[in-house]
Amino acid sequence: MNNARKQDLPIRSIPFEIADRQSIFAVCFCFLFAIASHFVNLPVWVSLLVIFALAWRSLENLGYLKSVSKWLLIPMVLFGGIGVFAEYWTIVGRDAGLALLTVMTSFKILESRNHRDLLILIFLCYFLIATHFLFSQSILTAVLMVATLVVITTTLVTLNQRDSRVSIKTRLIDSSRLIAMSVPIMLVLFVLVPRIPGPLWGISNEQRGGITGLSDSMSPGKISNLIRSNEVAFRVDFLSDVPAQHQLYWRGPVMATFTGQRWYKLRRNRIDRLNIKSVEPPTKYTVTLEPNGEHWLLALDIPTQLVKDSLINADYQLISLKPINDLKRYTLESRLNSSIGLEEDLEYLNLTSQYPPDSNPQTIKLGRQLALRYKNKSEIIEHVLRMFNEEEYTYTLKPPFLRNNVVDRFLFETKRGFCEHFAGSFALLMRTAGIPARIVTGYQGGEYNQVGNYLIVRQSDAHAWTEVWLQNKGWVRVDPTAAVSPSRIEQGIDNALADERSSFRIKNKNPLFGNLLYSWDSLQHSWNDWVINYDQSKQRSFLKDLDIGIENAGDMIIAMVFLLSSVTGSYWLFSWYRERPCRPERHEILFRRFLRKMSSIGFDKKMAEDNRHFLLRIAESDIEQYERIALVINLYNRIKYGRITDSEKRTTQLAGLIARI
Amino acid sequence: MPKLIRRSIDEWFARHNPPAQGSILLHNRRLYILPTRFGYLFAFLLLVLFLAAINYENSMAFVLTFMLTALGIVSLWQTHKNLLGLEVTLLAPKPVFNGELCEFEFTLQHHNNCIRYAVGLQYANQTPVYLSIEPGGNAKAILKIQTVKRGQFKPKGLFVFTRYPTGLFHAWGWLRFDCPILVYPKPLDNAVLRETLVEQYQGKTATSTIEGDDFAGLREHRTGESLRHISWKAYAQGKGLLTKTFQGHARPSLWIDWNQISEGSIEDRLSYMTSLVIFAENENQKYGVKLPGITIEQQTGTAHKQACMSAIATFQQIDFDEDFEPAYE
Repeated sequence: MNNARKQDLPIRSIPFEIADRQSIFAVCFCFLFAIASHFVNLPVWVSLLVIFALAWRSLENLGYLKSVSKWLLIPMVLFGGIGVFAEYWTIVGRDAGLALLTVMTSFKILESRNHRDLLILIFLCYFLIATHFLFSQSILTAVLMVATLVVITTTLVTLNQRDSRVSIKTRLIDSSRLIAMSVPIMLVLFVLVPRIPGPLWGISNEQRGGITGLSDSMSPGKISNLIRSNEVAFRVDFLSDVPAQHQLYWRGPVMATFTGQRWYKLRRNRIDRLNIKSVEPPTKYTVTLEPNGEHWLLALDIPTQLVKDSLINADYQLISLKPINDLKRYTLESRLNSSIGLEEDLEYLNLTSQYPPDSNPQTIKLGRQLALRYKNKSEIIEHVLRMFNEEEYTYTLKPPFLRNNVVDRFLFETKRGFCEHFAGSFALLMRTAGIPARIVTGYQGGEYNQVGNYLIVRQSDAHAWTEVWLQNKGWVRVDPTAAVSPSRIEQGIDNALADERSSFRIKNKNPLFGNLLYSWDSLQHSWNDWVINYDQSKQRSFLKDLDIGIENAGDMIIAMVFLLSSVTGSYWLFSWYRERPCRPERHEILFRRFLRKMSSIGFDKKMAEDNRHFLLRIAESDIEQYERIALVINLYNRIKYGRITDSEKRTTQLAGLIARI
Repeated sequence: MPKLIRRSIDEWFARHNPPAQGSILLHNRRLYILPTRFGYLFAFLLLVLFLAAINYENSMAFVLTFMLTALGIVSLWQTHKNLLGLEVTLLAPKPVFNGELCEFEFTLQHHNNCIRYAVGLQYANQTPVYLSIEPGGNAKAILKIQTVKRGQFKPKGLFVFTRYPTGLFHAWGWLRFDCPILVYPKPLDNAVLRETLVEQYQGKTATSTIEGDDFAGLREHRTGESLRHISWKAYAQGKGLLTKTFQGHARPSLWIDWNQISEGSIEDRLSYMTSLVIFAENENQKYGVKLPGITIEQQTGTAHKQACMSAIATFQQIDFDEDFEPAYE
């Protein structure tokens, strides 16, 4: 007895099943779909391995190839692991982790035989979706991943459907419905699951490949390369009035050391107390900075407020404590036209007056002449700016290539240059004339998006200008480019270079689709704001702004449970209504009436008895209306199971017969 | 799992799923749902994704984690719904001879306007059968089970389960049907009738209203007799209600007697008796069965045959509630 019970376990697992051909193809396709857009992020040999594995498994599935033996697979898996390690010198982290996951999934494809293996592969494909987001979180990636999610889920549903007659279209609709039903629940979880600030453990600083942006040194040609990039550097939402275009100087790294060829950034200490004199009201704004792989946070000249996890150094540059490898959003205040460095230390002033004495002799000579000629330092500055403006200097994206004594050759021979040429030679001239000078790199201007009411600053807005130190005035911004090409500063880079390069400005580029493109950029901006940057602080401020009393994690969980139960409750109601029982057909209702009549005269149809046996039982008992009863049962069977065309008429006949019993 | 817990779980299931006759409706109290092994794996995957999302502060990874969590929640409900309201009917299996296949015919039907995919049926440890049921329709599954032992059995619990749509959850009902299964002893191929079993009657049998080949005459109609045997011809001639009687030739009649068959094991003797019942019924002879403690009077007819066969089949079967086990190979 006990023994018999034991095998009668009420919980049971389903025995192992061999996967059919169709399922294997579906899973291969699924994997290909999930991995294809990763090929750019993977070493070539891993991509080739994926293609090899998929090709082999498909041919094997068609019967052209034999399966890879287990004894061959084990060393292959080992070599795969070693290969990944040799490639990255690690097996953890984003890139190596992805490569390892891909290699192992490929081998799993080769050895999959049964239903269970395929389900594991499906789960690995779900995991692959997540790895895409470590490389990009853009809207396009999200759209592609939704498609991938549908494909994977369709395959999963197909594997569990066990009905080969169902069309692919129906399957796609079914799984899309499943995903569509998941979306509201996902949204509730996304908004309300209390966020914990990361990271939980150290992550290596793996950068996105090929980031364009400012660098920590400046030499001719560096910024003009940046100008060719259409990429967005950051977007700015102004919380107060938008400053005029010519005031939009976005401060980045400051270069103070000059080697004769290049300008270098000098490491400076943080300052604890801001020493700023300004008469202007503060400008408040929020920057959404695209990842730049560096520590620099761009701020409007001059930032007067710190943001979280950052400091301001003695150059008044805002420095992040962590490298910006993900989109970063911060709100701060700046004051335009403010004076800084009134009490600059002498050592630094000395450093910013130095120049290599053995290169650029002509420039040094001119500087010294100017120092002798003018008493007032501002007169020297004016003289040089006038020189840039009146002589034949040209602001161009394609300056001639210069090698030795770059500043001399630019100032006295070619006279064609880009902002870095002007800023560099101006700063050197100042130093030779005895004025401390340095170069500030960053961005100037930006394009205002009227649709979304924010400013788009692109890499092409990159700029370099100078700051000179004057007694009682501190560091004063002087932009020599403005002297050469005022339109660069007043109207932006694209107007200044209209002849040389097609514009990146949406306004200039696409008069027809302008608004559409602004809307698209605006969408990206909101995406950054609401999706990518939705972290703990955003969550808190959003819920606070809703003003419905959600203040802490406990409230969030209560709200979440409430919303989840209402969503699932409404699903339940909807499906209950949609799938409510079909109204029984007329002959069924009639037959039930007949059965009730029969039971009233003592013939109960047993549950396990079919109509034929029921009739036989009635026949044996020899009752009077046997023939009519036989007619009823036969007619009912014919309507229900037989192929008759005049079922309406027959049903009426059935009603008549039953009424007479 | 400790035996005690296992047993208490089994008893709990047995108490909550009493055997039923004919058909069983899968309602909320009869349906159970638990994550499958893949469900647990999936939960682990979600946890890893969640930690990775926190660590990399990656919003889209959060979106994916929550999306898959939502998919899990929806499929929990969908899997349960896929069985809810399904009615399972077992058509009483026909008695079979030992060694033949016993056929269980299950009908699954529902009235809801939805398709139910991948509804699995599993009897004991047999390979499951999967069915799709059209909106408001029904589907039939015939499970064939090899018999290995004569006797009367009760069917084991049938598992009706589903993992549709995502395979993350396993919803099931455990259905026990209260209908006995009869397995007759396997008849012998070369059964020879022995003289000792045969009782010869001399002359003619008694007159009867029903049996017999020869018309024996008319007699007075008695109330309660069937109207079919009234001689309407005589009635028409004004002779009143008369009943036709018949007489047949004497036929040998049998006593299939346990004590007369002495050679062979119990099973062999029962098999021989079974063959004799079939033989006698085919020859239209009267026969009776004598088993220790049981005597079935001489008769013919299908009902009589069944009574004899089942008496032989259940002879000396101690446990009538024995589970019906399929043969394992």
